[in-house]
Amino acid sequence: MNPLPISDACIGVIANPVSARDIRRVVANAGNLQITDRVNIVLRLLQAARAAGVGRALLMPDRGGIRALLERHLKRGDASLPHIDWLDMQPTSTVEDSFTATRLLQRAGVAAIVVLGGDGTHRAMVRELHAAGSALPIAGLSTGTNNAFPEMREPTITGLATALYATGRIAPQEALVANKLLEVQITGGTHAARHDVAIVDAVITHDRTVGARALWKAGSLAAAYLAFCEPEAIGLSSIGALLQPVGRRERGGLAVQIAAHAADALTLLHAPIAPGLVLPVPVAGWQRLLPDEPLAVQQSAGTVALDGERELIFEPGQHVGVTLREAAFRTLDVARCMAVAARDGLLRTPPHP
Amino acid sequence: MAGNPFPLPKEQLLQAYRTMRTIREFEERLHIDFGRGDIPGFVHLYAGEEAAGTCIMMHLGDGDRIASTHRGHGHCIGKGVDVVAMMKEIYGRKGGACEGKGGSMHIADLHKGMMGANGILGAGAPLVCGAALAAKIRAKGKERSEVAISFVGDGASNQGTFLESLNLAAVWNLPAIFVVENNGYAESTSRDYGVAVDSYVDRAAGFGLPGVTVDGTDFFAVHEAAGEIIERARKGGGPALLECKMVRFHGHFEGDAQTYRAPGENEHNREHNDCLKKFAAAVSGAGVIAADELKAIDHEVLGLIERAVSEAKAAPQPTAADLLTDVYVKY
Repeated sequence: MNPLPISDACIGVIANPVSARDIRRVVANAGNLQITDRVNIVLRLLQAARAAGVGRALLMPDRGGIRALLERHLKRGDASLPHIDWLDMQPTSTVEDSFTATRLLQRAGVAAIVVLGGDGTHRAMVRELHAAGSALPIAGLSTGTNNAFPEMREPTITGLATALYATGRIAPQEALVANKLLEVQITGGTHAARHDVAIVDAVITHDRTVGARALWKAGSLAAAYLAFCEPEAIGLSSIGALLQPVGRRERGGLAVQIAAHAADALTLLHAPIAPGLVLPVPVAGWQRLLPDEPLAVQQSAGTVALDGERELIFEPGQHVGVTLREAAFRTLDVARCMAVAARDGLLRTPPHP
Repeated sequence: MAGNPFPLPKEQLLQAYRTMRTIREFEERLHIDFGRGDIPGFVHLYAGEEAAGTCIMMHLGDGDRIASTHRGHGHCIGKGVDVVAMMKEIYGRKGGACEGKGGSMHIADLHKGMMGANGILGAGAPLVCGAALAAKIRAKGKERSEVAISFVGDGASNQGTFLESLNLAAVWNLPAIFVVENNGYAESTSRDYGVAVDSYVDRAAGFGLPGVTVDGTDFFAVHEAAGEIIERARKGGGPALLECKMVRFHGHFEGDAQTYRAPGENEHNREHNDCLKKFAAAVSGAGVIAADELKAIDHEVLGLIERAVSEAKAAPQPTAADLLTDVYVKY
């Protein structure tokens, strides 16, 4: 017997097979969550979601092994899972897959999207939702390298919380929280204006190519714009967090200027900018980032790294602006959902039916 | 001209373009000549994959060894093997890199650290373990060692020789690097059907090696990742795996009808996933190398390939007496 009645509620799942594959495995002994483990995470969250009443799940297909292994499991017959359908899309094994899947899940009318990935995967989804003006909530599970945004949490619990919200047992005002983001705009020069977002950090580097994308050299950093920065977090946001912490629910963010040389620095900060790497960062200064007030980047050329990966190149003559936005997208507050479940007895049934 | 924003000086950028263009023209010419029936044996073309074959070698010297694959022309050119000697070899003529007795799949030049292309899938990896062990022993007491690199395709990565080599390299902590050139097809079998664990990084982790995946069509991405991995190995950090996701423009072999590809796939790849186009757009877009300079290299390379073919066609074929030479090596 299923603990709670099965409903027609549908949740989306985006599991990125590509996260945690970059150069930081070599230069910083970063972790490697194997595909089989990612499949097990998906299975655990779906089992919990069905136990809490979700009847259907819509999943992003991939060519990285998650779909293949999951289908191998499904062929064995597993009654503990909701009905599973795959989004009708051709995987490209690039970030485009996350964009496309987010669009398709919105159109399909899912109640929430559970995402497995790092800050980068979450950013891709949020970019798509933000551009569409969508209020569709996401529930994040950390499977990446440098995760300040998604939580390290047992997927069973995230599955339960998502299902309790998706089936209407917990109201949005209790289940969901609003999040900040950084809008990045590059204008001027001969190229068309470019817009993107970061959900934790937009970092300006001296590099002029995106190279292997990940950032791990303190000497390449020029400035960091942070939506939030919490001292226990790993990654580039730790630079701000160890100067002036800003909570993810707190108004405003932080902007940090980094000196080219230690001699020009106000202080030399030793920050865990990547797993295993506590590096000296010569800080020139920092200031609060106020909502809706654009800050102009001083650097004349370089790259903008969004949530840990170099993404955008800008040249002399182009202008980069960063603007913090409050309440830009919604996420599921798993801890609060489970507290509500306990308070209201949502997972209790009569002992003798 | 603006300042150079790239992690390589202009001279090296020009050399990188020259090498990639040489590989491309070499392969496109073979595509034509093979179709005309001018070339004996089989050829497997590297066109589309030039970025990896070029930039990884830029971190190596002649003392560093590589073991190549059946699709080895790009590795040979990248490692500095003489292009005319290569063409003669492929044409089966005297004066070839192996005196015309090896052909496309057995080009070697030990003076350049090129241990050979290899017609046996996955066979290069154990050779690289040997070369890396030798490098490690030679480097005893030194801070840095030479390295050895095995190239392997996504299909050959299923071979026991490859998997055993990952284990051996890890156990002996060898300065060995395994580059998986993942073009998506094992001959005609899509990787989706033929590889149980789709992530090569996962495979490496299974043997205790760190693994990295990069966009193999992005010269700068491969260059940066390969540089870190090779430097780590030189300093005694041990083996690692680098997966380069790439595309091949031609079939598995020349004459392959490629019915396994999606309609328009080749055209899409040539338009959007061409590593040469991406490189040229980056360096000329940044104002570091003028379009005229790239054109001059194109012209120079075409001349080189034309000369290589002319000399190959004019060279004599090996004789029956040549069969018994170069069979054994004296130590």
